[in-house]
Amino acid sequence: MVLEFFKGSSQSPIDTIEATLVQMLCAGDDVFVTATNALFGGGKSKETKQEVRSTDHQINEAQQEIRRALMVHAAVGAGDLPLVLQYASIVKDAERIGDYAKNVYDLVRYGADFDAADDRDELARYRDNVSRLIRDAAGVFASHDTEAAKRLIGKADGFLDDYDARVKAAYRSEGTASDAVSRALYFRYLKRMTAHVMNVLTALVQPLDRLDYYDEAKEDRD
Amino acid sequence: MESAELPQSPSPIVRGPKRTIPPLVRAVAVIALLYLFLVGVKLLESGVESLGSGTAGGLFDGITNPLAALFVGILATVLVQSSSVTTSTIVGLVAAGQLPLETAVPMIMGANIGTTITNTIVSLAHARKSEEFRLAFSAATMHDFFNLIAVAILLPLEIATGFLQKTATWFAELLPSGADATFNSPIKGAVKWGVGLIKPVIETITSSSTTFGVAFILLGIAIIFITLMLITKNMKVLIAARIETSINVALAKSGMVGMMVGILVTVAVQSSSITTSILVPLVASGILLVRNAYPITLGANIGTTVTALLAALATGVVGGMTIALVHLLFNIVGILLLYPIPKIRYLPVTIAEKLATLAVARKWLAVAYVGIVFIAIPIVGILILD
Repeated sequence: MVLEFFKGSSQSPIDTIEATLVQMLCAGDDVFVTATNALFGGGKSKETKQEVRSTDHQINEAQQEIRRALMVHAAVGAGDLPLVLQYASIVKDAERIGDYAKNVYDLVRYGADFDAADDRDELARYRDNVSRLIRDAAGVFASHDTEAAKRLIGKADGFLDDYDARVKAAYRSEGTASDAVSRALYFRYLKRMTAHVMNVLTALVQPLDRLDYYDEAKEDRD
Repeated sequence: MESAELPQSPSPIVRGPKRTIPPLVRAVAVIALLYLFLVGVKLLESGVESLGSGTAGGLFDGITNPLAALFVGILATVLVQSSSVTTSTIVGLVAAGQLPLETAVPMIMGANIGTTITNTIVSLAHARKSEEFRLAFSAATMHDFFNLIAVAILLPLEIATGFLQKTATWFAELLPSGADATFNSPIKGAVKWGVGLIKPVIETITSSSTTFGVAFILLGIAIIFITLMLITKNMKVLIAARIETSINVALAKSGMVGMMVGILVTVAVQSSSITTSILVPLVASGILLVRNAYPITLGANIGTTVTALLAALATGVVGGMTIALVHLLFNIVGILLLYPIPKIRYLPVTIAEKLATLAVARKWLAVAYVGIVFIAIPIVGILILD
């Protein structure tokens, strides 16, 4: 331990925090993929439920670990308070992605199944978009690529209107209530997950006071 | 707002503190400051020596009662907010032969108590939120109570037997000795050379041996104070990441790992107050338990003794090394007395928690405690006893 202390580590504590944040995003996507696989034909099972819950639990643990590390970073007085506040904010977004992914699995538990839907491929395309968005966001966040972050925010922003339109369509649909509710909730969760991914990315390009403002309606953002 | 119109962030994720000084330059500066610190101790010693017998300056002058010496140690440390400055000055005075070991030992113990005021003051910043304050004040004052209990046990024992002084003398005499109770330190020669550069400058200003001595003492104390402050500041920046990593390790563990973290961080930054003050917000926020912070605090007590040991190397006098070793032994014996026995291990923590509970109900008690223990009692004690 003495030698380790004086030798130091190749990874700074902030590097460790960022790596954990990236892992949280990837784990959020893992939960999402597992949950949507169940929604698109896999169905509910003890194993899937266990997998979803345990990955979500890991995400929660990682969030607490990051909060502790941020508190230590602030207490040591490293002098980068904006970074501590930004990470304290976006770690919550990363955690929420896992939560909404878990909610998608709840739809399966309630009986939702999109496998036989007429528009199955279209519904699955939305899933693929969100999954890719989370993975891309993790990569962009890890590389601190602000230009890529802006491009990805723009892309994600385009999805939001689409989700709203799909929720509206579900509300007006003449199908069964359970199908309408499943679709409305599915798109609502996709919208929330997309918004949280955008929040994480805004940390790369937005000042501290403007974090989190991408999940509002466009006219309310300024 | 369209995504295409994203504003350029005035504060996107900014990695690490804005370091204007490259780490290598800072490291070299620390080595230079360390050298200057040793020169400061030697200047102090030389100044006191040149003034002659019985003229040890200011606050430490003419103290004979051990309790009064203890209070002087507390008060001096509270005034300079650094036990390292006090203990280094004591080492210089002992090395110069102007402060007897019997008086210096309680002063060193007082310095140990006095240094705990810093994190206690830090804890007062949490007064707005009761639970946070209770935890913060407990974390801070457990250090006070550990040192107070250690002094309450070891000072009477030392007065009766002189065991710390005798043991430290035995260890100090193991060092390769030179003539006249001195020892051969490689640093001694280098420090002497530095003092030799300053001496002619002072001699051009004054020819009076008294003024010369006073100038050396004042310059010595000023150099000790400034260099220690700058060493702490620079080391804290240099090893901030290592401190963080170590504390992250200590969060999940207690006992010896925590104690080792306390020693390492304190040796590195040359300040127990930095280590213990870092712990206060961590305990206040609930991520570090008071009982897990306790061994780190005890480690800081040991780590802080390295400064006096370094100062003793500059003096090259057995007496100076003896008092520095007393500082180390006092802290080690204190831990050995209180920590290994489970029933009394957490006594300082329990007392601190009880006081904190009272202080949460009556906030003025916390301020009164600081004023009474660290200022009023030492002043009244010195006035009455000496």
